[in-house]
Amino acid sequence: MAESAVKSNPFSDLLKKAQSEKPPKPEKRNRKEERERFKKRLATLTPAEQKYLKRKRAFEMVWPICRGLLVFGLCFVIIYPLIYMITAAFRPRADMNDPTIIWISKNYTLQNIKDAARTMDFWNTLGNTLFINIGCSLVQVITCALTGYGFGRFNFKGKSILFGVVIMMILMPSQIILIPQYMFFRYFNPLGVYHMITGNYINLINNPLTMYMPALTANGIRAGLFIFLFRQAFRGLPKELEDAAYLDGCSPFKTFIQVMIPNAGSTFLTVFLLSVVWYWNDYYVSTSFFTDNSTIALQLKNLDASLTRVIFNNGNVKVNARELIVWMEAGCLISITPILVMYIFLQKNFTEGIARSGLTGM
Amino acid sequence: MKGLNLSYEKRKGLYGYGFVALWFVGALMFFIIPVIESFIYSFYDVKPDTGKLQMSWVGIDNFRRAFMVDPDFRVNLTEVLGQTLWQTPVIIIFSLFVAIIINQEFFGRTFARAVFFLPVIIATGPVYAIITGNLDTSGTADADQFSSMFSADMVDQLLEFVGIYGFNDKLTDMLSTMTSDILNLVWKCGIQIIIFLSALQGIPTSAKEAAGIEGATSWEFFWKITLPYVSPMILVNLVYTIIDTFVDPTNVVMEQVLTVQDDWKYGFSAAMAWSYFAIVLLAVGIIFAIMNRIVYYDD
Repeated sequence: MAESAVKSNPFSDLLKKAQSEKPPKPEKRNRKEERERFKKRLATLTPAEQKYLKRKRAFEMVWPICRGLLVFGLCFVIIYPLIYMITAAFRPRADMNDPTIIWISKNYTLQNIKDAARTMDFWNTLGNTLFINIGCSLVQVITCALTGYGFGRFNFKGKSILFGVVIMMILMPSQIILIPQYMFFRYFNPLGVYHMITGNYINLINNPLTMYMPALTANGIRAGLFIFLFRQAFRGLPKELEDAAYLDGCSPFKTFIQVMIPNAGSTFLTVFLLSVVWYWNDYYVSTSFFTDNSTIALQLKNLDASLTRVIFNNGNVKVNARELIVWMEAGCLISITPILVMYIFLQKNFTEGIARSGLTGM
Repeated sequence: MKGLNLSYEKRKGLYGYGFVALWFVGALMFFIIPVIESFIYSFYDVKPDTGKLQMSWVGIDNFRRAFMVDPDFRVNLTEVLGQTLWQTPVIIIFSLFVAIIINQEFFGRTFARAVFFLPVIIATGPVYAIITGNLDTSGTADADQFSSMFSADMVDQLLEFVGIYGFNDKLTDMLSTMTSDILNLVWKCGIQIIIFLSALQGIPTSAKEAAGIEGATSWEFFWKITLPYVSPMILVNLVYTIIDTFVDPTNVVMEQVLTVQDDWKYGFSAAMAWSYFAIVLLAVGIIFAIMNRIVYYDD
């Protein structure tokens, strides 16, 4: 009977046995086993090998902890000013003088943000900045890509000399050429004949053309670096791609648009983002071409001067430097918010794309 | 183009000119001519006038004034040079270290990467100057708080604990300037970290596997695999860091050049800017020549 029962249901016993057994504590047992296995393995090895394995195990256990601490600490150092910015921007100015308040204020207010926005004429300035910023960046990406493609993919006489000029554009501090550029725009003389015909010059100062013209000809802010990046990226693409397109009867320009651009997408994104960031942050070039504070960076640069004038209707009021901080930080906060939002959304593409932008193909 | 009987290569070359032409016109207007003009200014006394600049020849007087007469220029110059000299290696080592860390797999890596690249977004603008200035005036003093974490005092205390008192004040001084600048340094490393990261991702898998099979420790891996493969990018980063420090509009020499420029002394400011640039170029050239021998190229 018993035999037949077993035969009829061959798995029941096994099942029962498995159920009756207490489930083993997997963590402890595994580790023990592992350690024993490790010890057994150690015994078969030479002393030098034993030492090596022991050291490796110790390192592997300690390193993640060290790494975690380090990464946390460094991230903290970077984020610290931003945390301060946020806490200071929302606190009433009287709280700046309260020694008990360092991080967390007792009261919160939106007044600083409102004041700073009013002082900076925020919405107009934002529109203006976006117009210059996004427009110039888009134009600059296209023109730099064309130039970079020319340098990366074609051989022609004088190429090395011309590329030397690109390198000089990267190396040369823009301060050197600022005055001649200013004269060029202040007394703009199209084609060199306008002055002869009319006897006048065109004053382009405060005109967005001062930013657009260099961008249109791949000479905008840090254009040298972007041309270099594009050249590296295009040079790294396989030659077969190009040859196949030529065989199919594409002209070089069509090849560029239909074959090369889709293959260099990450470089385009990277250059566009960097370009946006640098145009957004630029106060240096724009100071000399704009006399009114028409971009965010310029407004921010002159914020402490304009604050007392706008808020108290009087430029002579002396405000305690510590109290001024709340408005300054509020101004900083609203002016980096747009670009921070962009960064948060595109952060993944940015960090991954830039690492693959062909920089290494030196 | 069809009528001309040109070889394939030559025709391609002509297209090359076509692609570069637009940039060349711009470079002529906005770079080459201005550079030449400002070089000429440096030998003249320049005054603004309608339509053009009034110039009178003074020879090398502007340069002589910069180096011999002006009390600040030489002082500022040595300060910037000294600062660059110690900051550059620290920035390079630090950013390589960070790049290696965030190239590894760990929990929260995406977040860490985003944070480390944040300075690239913010630090180039006026925001950064305001932030650091405010932290100073509010006494939430950035530097001091951090340096107590990594502190030079700790070094001293450690030595005192061992029984060495007043050990080498200079060393302590140097360490404390370094640690108190840690905020500045961390904020200057964004681009360098990115460049190193891209180099680290370019290390061929074959090399990694070979090292794994041979049983290299991470220490050995760093010296024998990582460093040689990354070395071309160390050169790039060195040059980039130097240029970035020199060209930074907030450094003292640049500030002086700009102040003089605002006083309409174009000739003098051009002379200062050009001698400064010559020194930068010389420094970069020397570093390039030395490093180019050490750098390992894969192909």
